[in-house]
Amino acid sequence: MNGLRIEQIEKKYMTAETDQKESFTLEPIDLAIREGEFVSLLGPSGCGKTTLLKLTAGLLQPDAGKIRFGNKDITRMPPEARRFSMVFQEPLLFPHMTIGDNVSFGLKMQKVAKKERQFEATRMLEVVGLAGYESRFPEELSGGQQQRAALARALVAKPRVLLMDEPFSALDPGLREEMRELLSGIQRELGVTVLFVTHDREEAFEMSDRIGIMSDGRLLQVGTPTELYEQPASTKVASFLGLKNIIKGNIKAGHFASEDGGIEFHTDKTVIDGTQFLILRPEVVLPVTSSRKPPNDSVHLKGKVTKLKFKQGSYIAQILAGNQQLECLLSREEAEKLEPEKIIELYVNQNELQFVEH
Amino acid sequence: MWQKSKPYLLLLPATGAIVLLFFGGLFDGMLKSLGYFPAIAERQLHLTAYTELLSSDSFWESLSLTLRVAAISSLLAGIVGGMLAIALFMMNQSAKVKESRLLQRLFQLPLTIPHLVAGYVIVLLFMQSGLFSKFLATVGIIDQITDFPVLVNDPFGWGIILAYTWKEVPFVLLMVYPLLARIRDSWRDVSRVYGAGNLSFIREIALPIMMPSWIIAVFIVFVFTFSAFEIPFLLGVTYPSMLPVYSFQLYMSGTLADRPEALAVNIILALMTIVLGLIAYYFSKRWNVTKGWQ
Ligand SMILES: Nc1ncnc2c1ncn2[C@@H]1O[C@H](COP(=O)(O)OP(=O)(O)OP(=O)(O)O)[C@@H](O)[C@H]1O
Ligand SMILES: [Mg+2]
Repeated sequence: MNGLRIEQIEKKYMTAETDQKESFTLEPIDLAIREGEFVSLLGPSGCGKTTLLKLTAGLLQPDAGKIRFGNKDITRMPPEARRFSMVFQEPLLFPHMTIGDNVSFGLKMQKVAKKERQFEATRMLEVVGLAGYESRFPEELSGGQQQRAALARALVAKPRVLLMDEPFSALDPGLREEMRELLSGIQRELGVTVLFVTHDREEAFEMSDRIGIMSDGRLLQVGTPTELYEQPASTKVASFLGLKNIIKGNIKAGHFASEDGGIEFHTDKTVIDGTQFLILRPEVVLPVTSSRKPPNDSVHLKGKVTKLKFKQGSYIAQILAGNQQLECLLSREEAEKLEPEKIIELYVNQNELQFVEH
Repeated sequence: MWQKSKPYLLLLPATGAIVLLFFGGLFDGMLKSLGYFPAIAERQLHLTAYTELLSSDSFWESLSLTLRVAAISSLLAGIVGGMLAIALFMMNQSAKVKESRLLQRLFQLPLTIPHLVAGYVIVLLFMQSGLFSKFLATVGIIDQITDFPVLVNDPFGWGIILAYTWKEVPFVLLMVYPLLARIRDSWRDVSRVYGAGNLSFIREIALPIMMPSWIIAVFIVFVFTFSAFEIPFLLGVTYPSMLPVYSFQLYMSGTLADRPEALAVNIILALMTIVLGLIAYYFSKRWNVTKGWQ
């Protein structure tokens, strides 16, 4: 098992070498990635994603903790000995080398014979859609082409782990989509282990086996896309995943009352008494219609439609229930029966109720 | 019309002076080297001075000494300057930014010193009765100061080579360091991730990037040492002497008859400089790999 294990890794940045005030701290982080797995780190700007990636690559030394590859402790191993690849936010091709030489750079460092590395580079350039660009210089390529060359450079070296730092964020949406599919395909085909950093939710959800949510130097939750989406561990994770229906309230003996008193119901779930946040995904908030009878134990809500938004084939209705804005996902037929200012009845099945403590 | 030509007219006095002094002097020298000497009623143009020069042993010895000294000192300056540039660059990379800046300033010092002074410094340090020789004798590494090798006013030209190397190393550094400074920190990260240690990084990234401007720098040093006068005059021997000194010796020999030859040496020097300059220009065009860098 050649998995990558990040164990209790810590890193502090000081503001300046002289005064010992710390400007940023990466809290102890644990993360295990299986061989061939695609794991994404998702988090807002400045939360420490690049720092964690550089620590993994060995470009930064951790203050504490260990990094293991397989059974080997590689914490002190210099980056040049790790045989990892890294794709950065910018292409960072060497301007004095042709695209062919750039792509085969890793192989040259691995002392692969010239013929063979040229062959491999040519083949990988074909894979990323840059066939025939070998003898051009980087400045003769567009930004997107350069980034693809950088991807080829990373893949051709047969890395044990591929680290990627927002590699597609500088590309336009169409190209980004194309690159994601390309990467997913190649990753499955080659079975390479990937740690991928992004601040784009869709990107993470589309490509990853598992996602780690980061915020302020902490790794908040790790899980498969469905796990994270259906069972976020905290309101922070939920709101970072784009969930808007987060209702603060109180639970006492199975009875939930929202803070403003607008929403009250009984729950069968075993939840500790005290302050709790109710998280409702927009697709579990269903309108009551003549054809669809809610189960007896379901939670009933009533609210006024304030806005209808079209969203790629479906609709998002914003509904004011009590003082609480709720978002609810509707099909086209359901949405056509609604109009702003209309009062509607909604329900949520008991098993879709999700409570978190913070 | 006036609007367009105004800048040119304003520049005319300066341009005129430069053209008159530079090309006028050269032209006058050329005429005289061809035997045109109205002062002694010589008005016929002929190549006697050149044929005599090219058939004299001392000219050829002087030329070979000049080429040898220029080649060795420019190569030495290039190697030392290039190595210093890389060392400074690597120090900068390994977060020793302050030390690197300080050393860089220090290495630039010889740039501010005139060649004549540099020559004297070498004399004072490396003469047999100079500082180093006395120091070595006092410490007991050599028995007498006469055991110290003859490095100043020696027939091979070591003194001249030393002076030029010392003086031109900072020039090479000045020419190539800015290119290295444009290497982005993140390239080091990239190369390390792909398996390049320090040596590979220098070989694959730093050297190729600094090479074009290094070659130009060495070329300029070569052309300069080839035709400069004061250091060989101060540190050379009377025979064989480097070409500029040889020309001076001929000119000052006392007989007017030697003057066309002296001037012929100058014209030959000028022609060689032009040819070397053209070669340097050709290569600087060809190796313009730095275009398009952000
Ligand atoms: N060399 C450094 N010295 C001091 N502080 C640093 C250094 N590098 C990064 N930081 C700080 O550490 C924090 C995390 O930086 P990092 O680059 O890891 O963020 P990120 O999650 O990659 O952000 P982004 O999405 O914008 O790339 C930031 O607040 C940054 O200001
Ligand atoms: Mg970053």
